[in-house]
Parts: sequence; structure tokens; C-alpha cells
Amino acid sequence: MEGNYYVCTGCGLLCDDIEVELEKDAVSKVYTACRVGVAHMKEGSREAVSQVDGKPAEEAAAIEKAAEILKNAKNPLIFGLGTSTNEAQKKAIELAKKLNATLDDTSSFCLGPVVEALLQEKFNTCTLDDVRHKGDVMIFWGADPSDSHPRHLSKFSYFPRGEQKQRGWEEERTAIAIDIRKSHTAKICGSNFFQIPPGGDTEFINALIDGVSGKLPKTSYKFPPKRLLELANILKGAKFGTIFMGLGLLYSLESLDPIIKLVEVLNEKAKGEFHLIPVVGHYNMRGFNENLFAETGYVNCVKFENGEAKHGPEYSTVEALKAKAVDAALIIGSDPLASLPRSIVKNLLDIPIISIDPCETLTSRKAKVYFSTAVTGVECGGSATRMDGVEVKFDPILEAKRPTDEEILTKIMEAL
Amino acid sequence: MTSTMELYQLLPKTNCKECGKNSCMAFAAALMARELTPDDCPPMKNDPKYKENYETVSGMFSTTEGATETGLIVHEELCFGCGNCVVACPVNVANDPYGVGSGKAPKSTGKLILIIEDGIVKAQNVDECRRFGKNKILCTGCIVTCPVEAIEFV
Amino acid sequence: MDFGSFLAAPEIKVKIVTYRDIFQNKAMIEDRFGEEYKNTSALIKMDSADLKQMSVKKGDTVIVKNSFGNIVVKVEESGYETPHKGIAYMPNSPWSNMLVSDETNGTGVPKFKDIEATVTSAKGAKVTDLEF
Repeated sequence: MEGNYYVCTGCGLLCDDIEVELEKDAVSKVYTACRVGVAHMKEGSREAVSQVDGKPAEEAAAIEKAAEILKNAKNPLIFGLGTSTNEAQKKAIELAKKLNATLDDTSSFCLGPVVEALLQEKFNTCTLDDVRHKGDVMIFWGADPSDSHPRHLSKFSYFPRGEQKQRGWEEERTAIAIDIRKSHTAKICGSNFFQIPPGGDTEFINALIDGVSGKLPKTSYKFPPKRLLELANILKGAKFGTIFMGLGLLYSLESLDPIIKLVEVLNEKAKGEFHLIPVVGHYNMRGFNENLFAETGYVNCVKFENGEAKHGPEYSTVEALKAKAVDAALIIGSDPLASLPRSIVKNLLDIPIISIDPCETLTSRKAKVYFSTAVTGVECGGSATRMDGVEVKFDPILEAKRPTDEEILTKIMEAL
Repeated sequence: MTSTMELYQLLPKTNCKECGKNSCMAFAAALMARELTPDDCPPMKNDPKYKENYETVSGMFSTTEGATETGLIVHEELCFGCGNCVVACPVNVANDPYGVGSGKAPKSTGKLILIIEDGIVKAQNVDECRRFGKNKILCTGCIVTCPVEAIEFV
Repeated sequence: MDFGSFLAAPEIKVKIVTYRDIFQNKAMIEDRFGEEYKNTSALIKMDSADLKQMSVKKGDTVIVKNSFGNIVVKVEESGYETPHKGIAYMPNSPWSNMLVSDETNGTGVPKFKDIEATVTSAKGAKVTDLEF
């Protein structure tokens, strides 16, 4: 049954072993993908129509209108790109340079800071394949991959056999969850679930550092020291440990220093090595961070001026919108009107929006110009970077009836 | 789920052997193992004095409609399609170590018990399940790895 | 005489933590303007003691509000074994985002998972529609 495998672009895991059946130019059956992946691959063929001012429009007219909006803007914002291929992302960076635009993706309010620290080599990391082959202790911290990346545990981090893990998860692996609620992932971890109060992560990290350093671990919320020491002992005994860091942990920290320190201390005190992997949501958010980093030395929040990139939180989508610093928005594969706080994103309604997206969204409904584009991985191919930095290339499953976001970006650039 | 003993208490306890078993206790065990159904006990089915017990016992087993021969039920509406059970099932691992056993799509056409189809786990070849047959054991590989109790044995 | 009708509806202060849910994510991919997405998103999960205090039942609608927004969503019991009075959970969605503060201290990161709000019975009012 060695099949013809496709890549699922439904989340940052980029599962590369998906088989499909087709019927009437649509995906009719999907094997091995999770529930979210199946929805993603089947819905890919749904059509939406490009629009200008809310009315169906020819592509050429829409391109012309989009170029006009961008030409007239003094400081346009280019945002999104977490669900675009590396190729489209590079095109968007080029366009941002040409327009002296503010460029940012969703990572500025998601796991961007962690990817940045990773690319600056501030902590030890590894690939998911390494975890499958060698991992004996894995910590899901403020992360619930069972819901966000359903095959995380079965494909890589807990249940599969690997080169040095031939005897099965019960004997050879220990999965730990640290969270403020009993998530589905925490449930699987059973007695290795450590529930902490909201905002209690920094203290828990410091207590763990004390625990593995032979000191009595203490927290203001009186987490039982005995349990903390049990956990410290599991971590100390690890030969190949990995912390999977989610948004729950990131949002609870004032700075990344404590978690970086923990990884350092564990590398000193544990039997083997310790690693950290950010559990990145969108299928190519890490790709955007890496592509922009290669170009500018920053992973997000930049403003171009005459080819040079300025960087800082003031160039994040959130701060730029809050300060009303941008006067037009080109939004690619993202729905900020749904995903950002309404108290901030309402300012987006005061400026012209160009939306490039495979499906109709709250943002596309408010856009001056909307381009209905192909779903990458379903209607078009390309390459992307998995959450652990591995590049994955993929082919389309269906023949595209719609242009790709990369093609639209190219045409807009030509029309400028 | 009830025990064999509880089930036995509801049977006629006459050891009439009409069901083909040597005793009512053996019949109870056969019911539990899903070898026989309540209808295989003619006295209980036909004699009005056992009517109430017959209905009770039938009720116990009617919930298993849609269950496989091992009593495995998939609650499809709960399933995430995460594949934890597919990868953890010892029979799946033994039959396809480099495919599902390694977390990947099935590689061999060997007898896999659990696969993911359209994002939902599907049970097949259940006679291969360790909970089935003569040397059955109470394997819980697919149950304890499920985030949502989508697999149940009744 | 129904004394309850003279009392202000009991109001509960909560800290809302948002989370992701696979069925909600699936529903969004299938149709973000559809009923299923609304049903899996526009809800708040609370401690059963909090439900009791507000005299609402599972499936009733409640008003969740703060200075940033005011929404009507369905209420459910969290089902968590550990009691968590005063802490509520909502799937991350356009509905929870209507309550997120605009205060970011210049970091560019809103407090998506840390929302303070009050909850009261909506007395049968309909769930807030997804629109802008």
C-alpha cells in the first residue's frame, strides 16, 4: 500500500503521509489525516469569487484597484502569510521593500519571540524526527497539541516507534503536561499532569530549576514540593528531553529568560540533552520567520525604508493599528477582524483593505479588493517550513482553478 | 458493564443445556464474550416467568448494536482522528512496524485493526484484536491513548 | 411573592482563559459563518458552583461583558474535576476577542488568554451574531 502521499497544510505539523481519493475534481476521501486536516483538504475546493467594492470583479480590474490603493498609501501594512508558501512569503517581502511598507505576520502576537530566540541560537532545539527516534521525556507546556496539532503525539512525540525507541511508549517514553487546565493532552499524560494557577508559570520554572539543582522548590501558590521534586527527578533522568512550548506558557511569561535558563540548567543537570520546540500553529509561520530573518535579521515587526528594515514592537500589526500608523492593509491568508481584539482591530475599518484568501472571511467582507486564491497544498504546490525547521515540499492534489497568492502578489507588484 | 456473575443471577439457573453450553454460568460467560446472544436461551426467551429478566438481559446487550465482535465501539462523533490508538495498538505495530507503528500512514497490507479514514478511526479485522479469541487479554492500548474516550469496549 | 425579581441579577466576576478546540477549528475551516462554528465558539465554560450562583443551567445564554465589549454566549459546565470558581474558559474566537483589552503596554501582544469580565444570566437572549 506504498501510496501516493500528499502533504496536509492544515497546521504546523505538515503531515506528509496523506492519501486521498478524488471524485469530480474534488477530494472525496482522505486517509490518515486528522479531523482538521480532512476538513482543510476537502474544503479546499470550495469556490469564492474575487471582488472589488463587494461586487464580483475580473482579476485584472482587481489588480489595478489593489495597485492603486497601495500606490496611494504612505505606510501600507502587509500582514498574514502564515498560510502561504515560502515562495509567496519571499514575494511579499520583496513587495514590502518596494512599497516601504510595514510587514508583520501573526507570529508577533503568537510564538514569534520563541522562534526569534531559536534562530538566534539562544536555546538548544531539535527536530520532531529526533524526538521520534530518541525522545524519552517530553513536556507539553501551555500547549494542547491534541486539539491544535492532533497527530503530534502519534506521529512524533509520544506513541510511535523510532530508531532508538523500539519498545513502545509505555516502557520508553514519559509525557508530561504542565497547564492551567486539564486539556486533552494533559488527560493522556495521566498522573504526569501538573496543574498550575493562571500566571504561575514563571514561579513553576524557577521552582523546577531549584528542584533539579538540589534545592527545595517553593512557589507562592504552594505547589506540593514533593510533586515538584518528582518532576525534577524525571527531567534529571532524561536522555533526550524536549519541552514543547505553547502559547499558554509564552503569554504567561514576562520574558523568555526563565524558560531559556531552565533548558540550560537541564542540559547541565540531566543525564542527556534537553531541547525546546515552539508548537507553531499555522503551517508556515516558522517559514515566514525564517525567510524574513534571512533577509533582515528580524522575524517579524519590520518597516522598510529605502531597502533597510527598521524593527520594533511599534511595527507589530497590533501596535501599528492601535496607533493608526498605517493607511492601507494588504492581508494575505489571515482574518484579523476575527483573530485580533475588536478594541484594536476596529481601526482597520478606517483604511482600505486588500484581502487575499482562499475563503470568505470577516476581513474579506470588509475589503475594498478581495482575491479568491488557491489553497496551498490542495490547489497549488510549493514549500513550507515545519514547526521544527524542516523544509517540506508539496504538490497540489487538484488542478487549480484559482490563482495562487504568489501569482496575485507578483501581478500587484508588476502593476505598481 | 456487568460482570459474568451479575449476568448469571438473571438467568434461569437450571443448567438445561438447551443453549449448547454445559451450565447457565457457561452461558453467561458466552454472553459476555459475545459468542451467544440472550435469544440463544430458549427458556428465558419463551417462558413468561423469565420475561422481565429476559428484557433486562436483552437491554444490556442491545446497547452494543454497532459494536464489533470484540465489543469494540467507536464513538465517531468524539473522535479527533489523532491516530494515537492506531499507532499504539500492539497488533497494528506488530503487523506494520514501519508504517503505523512508526507513526506513519499504513505501509503494509497486513491486518490492521485500526486506521484513520476521513478523520475518524475505523475498526476492521477485529478478530485480530487481543481482546478476541481464545487467548484474549484485557489490552487497553487504544483506550488509554485516546484523548476523548472515543473507543469503548462493552 | 417572588423576591428574586426585586434583586439585581446575580453577577459573577470572572477571569477568562481562552483555549483551542479541535471541533471549533474544524467548523471554522468548513464555514466560519455557519451555525456549527457559532455553536462551538460562542460559549463559556464555568464552574458548576458559578452556574448555580447565577441561577442558570447548562445551555442557557449569559451576558459576558467588560469595558471593551458585551456579548451573549451559551454557558456550559467545564466538567473539570478541580473546582475553579471565578475562572472561566472560552474557545479563542471572534466572540472572545470582543472582550480582549486594547492595553498591550506597547508590546504588540494583546492579553488574549487573560480577560476580566462579569457574567450574568441573559434571560434567554440570543447568542451574539458574528458580524462587524
